[in-house]
Amino acid sequence: MADAWIFLERGDTRTVADHIMDHDPTRGGLKVKKLLGEISRRDFMKFCAGTAAVLGLSEVELISKVTEAMAAAPSKPPVLWLSGQDCAGCTISLAGALNPPLSSLILDKLSLRYHEALMAGAGHVAEATYAETVKQGGYVLCVEGAIPTADDRFCMIGGRPFREMVEEASQNAGAIIAVGACAAYGGIPAAGPTRAVGANKMIKDKTVINLPTCPVHCDHLIGTILYVLATGKAPPMDKIGRPKMYFGELIHENCRRRYYFDNEMFLTDWNDPAQKNWCLYEKGCKGPDTYADCPVRRWNDGQSFCIDCGAGCMGCAEPEFYDGMSPLYTAESERSKNMMARKKAGLIPRLKEDA
Amino acid sequence: MGKKITVDPVTRIEGHLGITVEVENGQVKDAWSSGTMARGFEALLEGRDPRDAPFVTSRFCGVCYSVHQMASVRALDVAFGAEVPWGGTLLRNLAMGAQYIYDHILHFYHLSALDYIDIMAVAAYKGKDKALNAVKEKVVGLVKAKDTFPLTPRYKPDEFCVRDPDMVLSAVKHYIDALAMQAKARNMGAIFGGRQPHYQSIVVGGCTQYPDVNMVAKFRTMLDEQARFVNEVYIPDVLAFGTGPLFPLARAGLGGGHYNYLSYGGLELDKAGEDLVFPAGVMMDMDPAKMEVAPFDPRKITESVKYAWYEQDRPRHPDKGQQVFDLDRKEAYSFIKAPRYDGRPMEVGPLARMLLAKNPDVIGLLKKGAKPGVVARHAARAIETRLVVDACYKWCDELLAEMTRPGFKIHDTAHYEPPETGEGAGFFEAPRGALGHWIKIKDNKIANYQAVVPSTWNASPRCERQYRGQYEESLIGAPVPDPENPINVVRIVRSFDPCLACAIHLIDPKTNEIKKFLVE
Repeated sequence: MADAWIFLERGDTRTVADHIMDHDPTRGGLKVKKLLGEISRRDFMKFCAGTAAVLGLSEVELISKVTEAMAAAPSKPPVLWLSGQDCAGCTISLAGALNPPLSSLILDKLSLRYHEALMAGAGHVAEATYAETVKQGGYVLCVEGAIPTADDRFCMIGGRPFREMVEEASQNAGAIIAVGACAAYGGIPAAGPTRAVGANKMIKDKTVINLPTCPVHCDHLIGTILYVLATGKAPPMDKIGRPKMYFGELIHENCRRRYYFDNEMFLTDWNDPAQKNWCLYEKGCKGPDTYADCPVRRWNDGQSFCIDCGAGCMGCAEPEFYDGMSPLYTAESERSKNMMARKKAGLIPRLKEDA
Repeated sequence: MGKKITVDPVTRIEGHLGITVEVENGQVKDAWSSGTMARGFEALLEGRDPRDAPFVTSRFCGVCYSVHQMASVRALDVAFGAEVPWGGTLLRNLAMGAQYIYDHILHFYHLSALDYIDIMAVAAYKGKDKALNAVKEKVVGLVKAKDTFPLTPRYKPDEFCVRDPDMVLSAVKHYIDALAMQAKARNMGAIFGGRQPHYQSIVVGGCTQYPDVNMVAKFRTMLDEQARFVNEVYIPDVLAFGTGPLFPLARAGLGGGHYNYLSYGGLELDKAGEDLVFPAGVMMDMDPAKMEVAPFDPRKITESVKYAWYEQDRPRHPDKGQQVFDLDRKEAYSFIKAPRYDGRPMEVGPLARMLLAKNPDVIGLLKKGAKPGVVARHAARAIETRLVVDACYKWCDELLAEMTRPGFKIHDTAHYEPPETGEGAGFFEAPRGALGHWIKIKDNKIANYQAVVPSTWNASPRCERQYRGQYEESLIGAPVPDPENPINVVRIVRSFDPCLACAIHLIDPKTNEIKKFLVE
């Protein structure tokens, strides 16, 4: 196993097939490219966290547990993550967090006890951990996905209605976060035959922190968890349970296309460079009716966001999403028409210009 | 009658899948693949503005979101009579390229690789790194303390698992790197997609993101980092596994299946759409000496529900498909329908694409004695990732050139309003394989919407003609020396990169025994 890595070095013209099939198995496996320096503990922990973030692996769970045990601080609060009628987009969105990396949250701040994608397959073991954590109490409960009300059987976990689990887990929770539009208000599934609703419809006696948008913005989720841990309480919220720090202002108030809305210069042709910064009202933008900080925070490490890419806001931070925002990519919805009526009536104030 | 083993759920996949195998004399004799969860998106779409479909179908799956948008807009393009300008196609393809790179890296490192390493080998680490040694001691301590909870669900590593501590640590290092790379690849896609997961800019007729030079330059710079990773880490790692733990499996052709391959074709490299990264084609009963490829004819697709929980009389073409659940259907064992091509079950995905494209690397594997199967599947996935990276460079160059041409367009504005009536099929090659969406429009609204996704092809149950699905067939003959440790079963299934959330629609109340591993 002393051979250093050879493939793709200069002058090596062999194909993948050559490498695999001409290999002499008696010599053991081809050595993986030599390590670039030693792996630090930090890297190792990152590895553990990363695994947890993506789609959990038992082997890695082991290591996570180890690091957890190493730092066996009693102050590390447990987290329960329940998934219902979801698409895993919120989990994937969270796994996209680079700054700060997810590892710092999961390893230094939290003990992620239950995440179905993380529990590597042992039903009874997973359920036991779940039951034990629920009994212990004081955890942060994260709910991803909606809850069906038409019939419990539309969403069963381990033979139990998902609804029942959410209700049960909420009892001893220290804080409850509805992750993404589905968990917050029902999202897209709410428009379907299962009559899906958000977690707060099931949890009557406790505060649910709603983090809508489809999917959740990883900053919103990480920031909210950190806030709860640092202060021991939920952040100040609006009337429908959204943290004001993220959902306090309308998209419209911070929109860079605002001037064009005020002056009714609406983009009609995506090909026309002269229009490329114009207002997207005609293309169905719901920014004037949607509270979220997307224009300021942007998405994916500040890369872009819906309005920047020319598509407009679909209102995914609002309880009426999706049904009340449809049709999405045109101004034909009742909401869009209403918006224009309000504008004409002077109810949507113009941008204040400096004197 | 052999011993029946059920693995449910199969983990490290997207969605809910159960596999039952019958083992006799240490080998799989028969197999059943069962989709155990479903939702109702097609019904939700009926009566909607057709332009909502790409946005909604993206939520089929939060992992492979963009490919549904792509198949959906292509179906809409046809139904609306839209002609997507080359600029729009390039933007779409760049966004899809980013999805491919992220998806394949994620599959290999985060979903598959750990089937082939024994992470406990860390305990045998003899290096001097203090931090690593501390972790090692803790691992040993945990076992000594009999805190076996995290160990319990794990299949015991077998003889195909790498135990060399340095090699395992190397894999761990690359796993960490890969985690950042998959996130960065997705950020790259957001340049033209607006954001991810769930791109916003992919619409009927083209793309909404008017590009500028800086965007292309940024994409290219980020692509450089991905290219380095794919060429210097991902492909070498696949080779290391292929020549190491997987080597005997390559020779044996573990996980072969029916040897029928299908690709719809996709990712145009030229304006005429003739030069594709993935050519379309069909290959039945592959004969390595001939490698005969027949043209793809969409009319030959049918879906059987004989063994699925749906009401239906006979196999239908998806454009006449329907979605009425029958949870009491006799003999049914899955929510996944059974798509067939010309009546035959097909494998879709990277291996199918690379065989149909007669990729020299993959053909070379066969010539040298490997059979299509688990190893070829992983190799094909890595090889095509490189093809996609190369294509992304071409699209960047082409886009820059196109942007300077007079009359540069990204969208067919004349065909943005829904027609009164219309229908269309949208075909695309998703990372996991052939993906098709079918739409019917009546009174300017969606009258019917159906999707046949890659995992429907691969994970399908039996059909009227009693052909097993591709997962089922590929498990036949797999060695399972220890029924309590059917690691080869999950290796084979995971080699297909299952994605079940998009394959199906509601959750079955009776059979959704998820989180259970039982040995009868």
